[in-house]
Amino acid sequence: MKKLLSVLLALMLFLPAMQVAFADAPVTITFAFWDTNQEPGMRAIADAYTAKHPNVTVETQVTPWTEYWTKLEAAAMGGELPDVMWMHANQITKYAEAGALLDLNDLNYDYSPYPEGVTSLYVMNDVHYAIPKDYDTIALAYNKEIFDAAGVPYPDDTWDWAKLREVSIKLTNKDKGIYGFGVANTDQSGYHNFIYQNGGFVIKDGVAGYDQAATQEAIQFYADLYLKDGVSPSPESFTDMSADDQFCAGKLAMLYVGSWMMSSYTQNEMINGKFDLAVLPKGKVRASIYNGLGYAGAANTKNPAVVKDFLAFCGTEEANILQAKAKAAIPAYKGTEHYFSDQFNFNIKCYSDMIEYGVQSPFSPRKSLWYDAQTEMMTSILSGQATVADACNALQATITEAEAG
Amino acid sequence: MTTAKIVPRRRSRLLRSEWAWAYLLIAPTIIGLCILNIYPFFNSIWLSLQKMQGLTPAKYIGIKNYQTLFADKLVMQATWNTLYFMLLTVPVGVFLALIMATLLNNNIRGRDIYRGIYFLPLVVAPAAIAMVWRWMFNAENGIINQFLGLFGIAGPNWLSDPNTALVSCAIITIWSSIGYDLVLLLAGLQSIPQNYYEACEIDGAGPLRKFFHITVPLVSPTLFFVTVLRVMSAIKVFDVIYMLIKDSNPAFNKGVSLMVLFYREAFVKFNKGYASAIVMWSFVIIGVLTAIQFIAEKKLVNYD
Repeated sequence: MKKLLSVLLALMLFLPAMQVAFADAPVTITFAFWDTNQEPGMRAIADAYTAKHPNVTVETQVTPWTEYWTKLEAAAMGGELPDVMWMHANQITKYAEAGALLDLNDLNYDYSPYPEGVTSLYVMNDVHYAIPKDYDTIALAYNKEIFDAAGVPYPDDTWDWAKLREVSIKLTNKDKGIYGFGVANTDQSGYHNFIYQNGGFVIKDGVAGYDQAATQEAIQFYADLYLKDGVSPSPESFTDMSADDQFCAGKLAMLYVGSWMMSSYTQNEMINGKFDLAVLPKGKVRASIYNGLGYAGAANTKNPAVVKDFLAFCGTEEANILQAKAKAAIPAYKGTEHYFSDQFNFNIKCYSDMIEYGVQSPFSPRKSLWYDAQTEMMTSILSGQATVADACNALQATITEAEAG
Repeated sequence: MTTAKIVPRRRSRLLRSEWAWAYLLIAPTIIGLCILNIYPFFNSIWLSLQKMQGLTPAKYIGIKNYQTLFADKLVMQATWNTLYFMLLTVPVGVFLALIMATLLNNNIRGRDIYRGIYFLPLVVAPAAIAMVWRWMFNAENGIINQFLGLFGIAGPNWLSDPNTALVSCAIITIWSSIGYDLVLLLAGLQSIPQNYYEACEIDGAGPLRKFFHITVPLVSPTLFFVTVLRVMSAIKVFDVIYMLIKDSNPAFNKGVSLMVLFYREAFVKFNKGYASAIVMWSFVIIGVLTAIQFIAEKKLVNYD
């Protein structure tokens, strides 16, 4: 027995020697993101990286959007952030200021292949914190069957607000349960577009624009489509069945939809092939809210070299093409957008066309403090409980107070 | 003589080792209680006196959170919503459970099967329950409104009408918690001796009389226990309201409960200090309600 033990102990001494014999020790890095629709794309990038670096295993962790930030914040406070994670423009300030993200300046990365707007979202105090991943814009989705049945020509780039309203009224047929346009309580894919198209703004450098006449006028137009013209289902209806679901069920003729929804729209048999996209109708100016995600690393990761290398890989043309081919999102690398739009046989390229006049999704570091008040503003307007002026001025006061601190 | 000396020593060693074993065996629970319940409780009190925003370090501000809390109309509305929710779920839920327990107390065939069926909602995940009921409450296509439509009644917008939103959540909560109360009350009922009922029957009492004059007084200890539990869980309601009444719901203001508000403050707005104050306020409410119930216990509950 003793002899066996001593033999075993002796053998164990050789283990470190065997470890050293491997050129690179095996490394596992965690890669966290939301959106299961994009998981195949991210998995493809991870596998391509492992093919080049066999000792690195990339473990993907998908958390639904509603829990992603809660989980990430808890992880940040506990010092247990995932090695690589998706970063969003709304949250970058918080994490960068707290020193939770890896400084990428020493990568000396070339950011020229990406739209300037997306790159700058993730630069704070001249430090790059994320590699641009994709961008998304908002377009006008329309149900071809409803248009055909009414004999109305499809939307095109000559449309403006008046035309949108006119066609919405024409297509609304309450007996058949069909509405012309979905006036939903969504900001990025809803009324924010109208605000900027009218020359108003939501928030700029910590100052809110809800007291501006241009902003209030835009919101009035948006709300009146439901309140006065009756072209939209009610907010109660949208509570029971979301605007996207109602569009896919063929109840809405038109809806403003973000490009990130295209994957789930095309997988939905009820609407796939029956809808198409057009650029947003113009107001006083053209505008479409855009946003872009980035790949960021954790500051306290145990494998900074591997993480930086992986992040750099995620930004390459090859990785962006993989992302596009998996229909994940519109890749940020200039020139690869067509790999995304080629996958679809409808006018999806209009999303990329709009980045020219895209407006960055309004945000401020303190946005989470007044975001619910903004939702409440639209709820009270659409339910007829408050006028646009009263609700917007009240929101302006709330935002000013929250931004002050 | 030697035996007289040995016995006391052996007994005291035995006694000491018994004490040691006793402490050892309750240690896991006590340690768990201290770390997971008692420490967080006092930590919450401390946090409620701080301003803690996002990832910035906490700053002591005294009772300012509480001043904001009492001036906050949404918190007061949520308090009222929560109390209203409690008034909806506790009387109806406990009463229904008592009736069903009384009916099940008779040796009817398949009694155990019924008990199993009534208990089933408790083993289903709250998220699943909420999702299914959400479709049932759907104003246009939901099964409830379609059923009402058969009688020509136009069903309301259950989940988006401010008047019915909390009622819908109360229905779901009552449905899912009857099983638990039922099992407890059944146990309480079975401890009532049969001869009370027999004596009553000889005097010619009907079932209603038996119920109100024998069953209710004698099951009152269990009834008290069940009511205290139900009141506490009603004030703490979160799952069903969080999942069915979102921010953009027109009925949000009339449906939001204290715990949903706490969640939003703590995890959406990252205002941990203010959120802790909300939690402390809920604690005070539960404490007051429980105290009221204990005072009522002295007068209404029979311990024979």
